[in-house]
Amino acid sequence: MSVRLGPRALSLARAYAELTGPGLGGIVLFAGRVRPDRVAGARVRALDYEVDRTVALERLRAIETTARRRFGAERTVLWHRSGSVAAGEVAVIVGAACAHRDPAFRAARYLIEELKRSVPIWKEVLAPPARRRRRRPARPAAR
Amino acid sequence: MAASVRVRFYATARLATGTAQVELPVPGQGISARDLLSELAREYPKLRRVLGASRFLRNDRYLTDLAERLAPGDQFAVHPPYGGG
Repeated sequence: MSVRLGPRALSLARAYAELTGPGLGGIVLFAGRVRPDRVAGARVRALDYEVDRTVALERLRAIETTARRRFGAERTVLWHRSGSVAAGEVAVIVGAACAHRDPAFRAARYLIEELKRSVPIWKEVLAPPARRRRRRPARPAAR
Repeated sequence: MAASVRVRFYATARLATGTAQVELPVPGQGISARDLLSELAREYPKLRRVLGASRFLRNDRYLTDLAERLAPGDQFAVHPPYGGG
């Protein structure tokens, strides 16, 4: 059982290592990255994740406990960044390890959906101010 | 020192109030969550729309009934819809 919530970068290799073990034949890992989308004309530079830390940690632990009980996941990972996360970086990793693939997929799906639905984490887009477009001079009316 | 409840605002609630937290004076016998929310809406008109979509916590526990009373020294949190991931 592994819950993390903090500013440090997340490693998929470390998450995978947390999930390996004898008899665990199905491992599902999901990583959510910050997309460099365009918002209001400016490229997203980063997302700033705000958390209510006490409540968020409690919720993350409760979600893991349920995933283990409901899907038989023997090992789970539920990691989320806080603070500023640059475009292209990983903001969240969830993972589940079971004896077989089907419960591992279902457990991992449950982990990420419950995290998004019920954990007090909010994101704010950090983008450079949009450049002002120069107005083209009006064309003369067609004759 | 006057009796008060500490109110914490997150995300869009923080943006609407312009502050992360306030100390709200309350009567010695406490105040219901509903009355506290009315005071907040009066104090911060831009917060009204956010409150309609938010969850509320008393001392880190989700409120299920707005009739629940808060005592001086309690903490109250406004959680707008979550957006992790």
